[in-house]
Amino acid sequence: MKALARPPFRARLRALLRPPRTLSVTKTGRTYLVVTFGVGLGALNTGNNLLYLLLGLLLSMVVVSGVLSERCLRDLTVRRMGADAAFAREPFAYRWAVSRKAGHGFALTLAEDLSPLVGTGRLGYLPAGKELVVRADLAAPHRGPVRLTGVRVTTTWPLGLFAKTRVFSLEGTLLVYPRRGYACREPGQAETGPRGESGSPRHQDGTGDVAGLKELAPGEDARRIHWKKSAAAGRLLKVEREREERRIWKLALPPGLTGDALEHQCEEVAAQAHQLLGAGHEVGLQLPDHVLRPSAGAGQERRILQALAWVGFEDVDAITKQEAA
Amino acid sequence: MKRPLRLRLVLRDLGAGAAFGAMAVSGQLPLWVLGVFLLSLVLALSDVRIVARHARLSAVLLLIAAVLLGLRLTSGAMNAVVAACAFAGLISAQRMLSTPDSSADGQTHLTGLLMVAGGAALSGDMTYALCLIAFGVLASLSLALGVVEAAVPDGEPVPVRSVLLPLSGGLSFAVAGAMAFFILFPRLNWAMVGPRSAPGFGAVSSAGFSDTVRLGGAGTIKSNPRVVLRATLTPDPGREELDAYWVGRTYDTFDGQEWTNVVGAQRTERQITLRPASDTLLHQRVELLPAYGGRTLVALESPSRLGNALALTPTGTRASTVQLHGGGEVRFTITAPAYTYEAYSLPPNAKADASSGLRAEERDQLLALPEHLDPRVAQLAASVLDGEKEPLAAARKLVSHLQRDYAYTLEQGGSLEDPLADFLFARKAGHCEHFATALTVLLRTQGISARLATGFFGGARMDGGYLVRAGDAHAWTHVFVPGRGFVTVDATPPSHRTSQGFELIEKLLALYEAVEGRWRQSVVDYSFRDQFELASKLVRPPRRTAEGAATSSRLPPMRAWVTAAVVAFLVWRLGRIVARWPRRALRLEATRFLDRVDALLARAHVPRREDESLEDLTTRLARDGHPLALALTPLTRRYLEARFGGRALREGEAEHLLRTLRRALDAEAARHAHKPDEQAGPTARAS
Repeated sequence: MKALARPPFRARLRALLRPPRTLSVTKTGRTYLVVTFGVGLGALNTGNNLLYLLLGLLLSMVVVSGVLSERCLRDLTVRRMGADAAFAREPFAYRWAVSRKAGHGFALTLAEDLSPLVGTGRLGYLPAGKELVVRADLAAPHRGPVRLTGVRVTTTWPLGLFAKTRVFSLEGTLLVYPRRGYACREPGQAETGPRGESGSPRHQDGTGDVAGLKELAPGEDARRIHWKKSAAAGRLLKVEREREERRIWKLALPPGLTGDALEHQCEEVAAQAHQLLGAGHEVGLQLPDHVLRPSAGAGQERRILQALAWVGFEDVDAITKQEAA
Repeated sequence: MKRPLRLRLVLRDLGAGAAFGAMAVSGQLPLWVLGVFLLSLVLALSDVRIVARHARLSAVLLLIAAVLLGLRLTSGAMNAVVAACAFAGLISAQRMLSTPDSSADGQTHLTGLLMVAGGAALSGDMTYALCLIAFGVLASLSLALGVVEAAVPDGEPVPVRSVLLPLSGGLSFAVAGAMAFFILFPRLNWAMVGPRSAPGFGAVSSAGFSDTVRLGGAGTIKSNPRVVLRATLTPDPGREELDAYWVGRTYDTFDGQEWTNVVGAQRTERQITLRPASDTLLHQRVELLPAYGGRTLVALESPSRLGNALALTPTGTRASTVQLHGGGEVRFTITAPAYTYEAYSLPPNAKADASSGLRAEERDQLLALPEHLDPRVAQLAASVLDGEKEPLAAARKLVSHLQRDYAYTLEQGGSLEDPLADFLFARKAGHCEHFATALTVLLRTQGISARLATGFFGGARMDGGYLVRAGDAHAWTHVFVPGRGFVTVDATPPSHRTSQGFELIEKLLALYEAVEGRWRQSVVDYSFRDQFELASKLVRPPRRTAEGAATSSRLPPMRAWVTAAVVAFLVWRLGRIVARWPRRALRLEATRFLDRVDALLARAHVPRREDESLEDLTTRLARDGHPLALALTPLTRRYLEARFGGRALREGEAEHLLRTLRRALDAEAARHAHKPDEQAGPTARAS
């Protein structure tokens, strides 16, 4: 399905003025052209017919190069598959699906056009009638929604002398989550759960009967280890009870932050949330104009990351938000 | 680091080898450069990259080689182009043996390109074209595989076969395009200074003339099939085999072992006249090839004028004067691997009174005998002639005696003190020099003037001209007949006068010579005049003669059919494009309409499912009893008609349909204001 939002006037003007194909000369191509020029001068200067023959071959190869690269980019269909999760300043996996109805494609390099995303995906060979997924490790410099206008497909086929590029107009939005760095500060006191003398913050035994055994994760309380079963299994197993004791944290992003301070705070909160949710706790988030109820699991982490990614970009229209979701 | 594709490296190295071959066929590169490059090529093909471990050492060696080449260049021992080509070959060798990374690949291809350009400046042989095409194909394949290999992820195979198919088609077009460019690009330079001839790889002079003829030498030259001379005769005899003598020089003094001349160099002119000219001279345009290896001009018996010579040197073509020497020998004054010149000869059986052209000392030598001549020689001559005094009749008697009682052989018994006596009385077998010497001396013993002539005998038909091989080298006798001048008499048995080489090899070489001749005519000598003639023929075809018109068909010529076919094809393609344009515009309009419908539906959260067409959506909604189906049905029908039925949307019709849909959507939204929004999937597609 086509893009829903109409791109801004400047983007449309740029797209209108942009030629259907762009051509750039590679380093090898520059040398090739210089030698061709020299051979041409030599042929004209001396009248040596063999130099004319060589010049003809060199120029023909330029023409053939243009024709073959054009055939390579023609009838190409590109579909954006996107990323599972994109984090700022971290490489993340990104995918496009490429196919051709007829003819083969060679040496294709895919990248997002006119976007701050850095990185390319490469495809050596695209057979006719088959859709292949091209994977790339991209990196985004900042968190937040990234407007995607099109996919740039470049090929240096057949001789690597010229890089021909075609841009496929493909609107979309990629939401970049804040980087999950190291959390410098403690997340503070849990809202519910054992406090003070009633139990150690790290001592979460749960109550009720033993429900099962589970492998001990890093950072978990060693006093929950079932030593006999661990010795029998040869690995550390912890006891799980009917009512596991989970604590609830409510993280908050202070209002009024901007710029680097806001970015830093978002990264800090993301890191704390990741740490707490990884330990099995429930985490909620208090934003200046938005509240996420405490919950646990990977879904909650994604919701928190999405909410943090949108902080500072609240004025973006609903359609873009929907796309980014 | 990813291990490079072995096939790509092999193709790259073979391409560099072909480029080096384009220079090497000229035969002008130093032998040590040839050796170094061939060794490097073998090592590179064996995947032994020794420079990768000794990069500095190789750089130092390269520097030393550059200094050596520079010294030879400054001392005048080497041409600047040859030195540059040799250095390019050494750099290429160094790059082939280094670590195969992208820079080494690029530099190998670049030096290959420079070597091919250098080869064009050094050689005009047809083998250059083969090397050029080989380099183009191999280097292109290597480059293409490199491009694909760089884009293929680690661990995945490179689709070699898939690459080769489209690339081979492209290369065929490139070769065809190169030919078209070559034919059609106007030659702006009228001065053709390109090398038309080079010594050739491994060339050795095989048939050159020396100042003496020594009896007893080995006769290996008779089995040499190399072509030394090409000639075009006017008027053309039209015979397949030319039974004619090509004389180079004559000898008048025999000391018992070797023939020499008493007179040395004489005058130097642009053209030398040996005999008075007549109105019916036989014109010859002769090209002496590098295999000839001498500076003596040859012409058909009996030469009248020789000159208008051009020396084809490695640096270009230069006019050369010619110098007259004793024995009627005419030499070029410039040393070059090849020459062209013109010669005029008296027609066969014409009177050639050349006695006036001889100096007194030369005339005296025509009867001179060696000091220690075996007395049996004179006795033999007297017994055979039996009192015959008429020179020509006497010569024929001796010829029949020699051909009857003596055998022809190329095997010699080594160095002898009196080779003539050995031939006449001991071995009774010899080659053309023995027969010719015996006849000359036998005649002189009886007071008949005669001299030894050397040159070539025969000539094979090729492309309207004649080829003479090194094996056609021959010696015969000039008998002086008062009132007629010198008359050619050949004592050698007729079956052994021409080349004694293998017939198959000669046929193969003749075929090669034919192709080489075509190559020179069509490519090396192609000029603005040829382009002009080609254009003239296309614009104004030559008129057929009455005889040709009577015998040939009344149908138009082949080129008219071809031109008509090409024009018809172009018109058809143009028609297809023009016819497709409005349909394409129609389809685009319909597609844009569909996009707007999609946008409206998605905004109203009624998106199409994955792979669901608008028609399917309408059917689904109608089946579900959805109120929107009423608005979508006419819209869908009109879209399908416009997209596939060739019935375009009228002006304003699209807006009207979209307004109807929008109203229906608004009504639907009002009815289901509380219905949760659906989410659109990221399935945008562009093609």
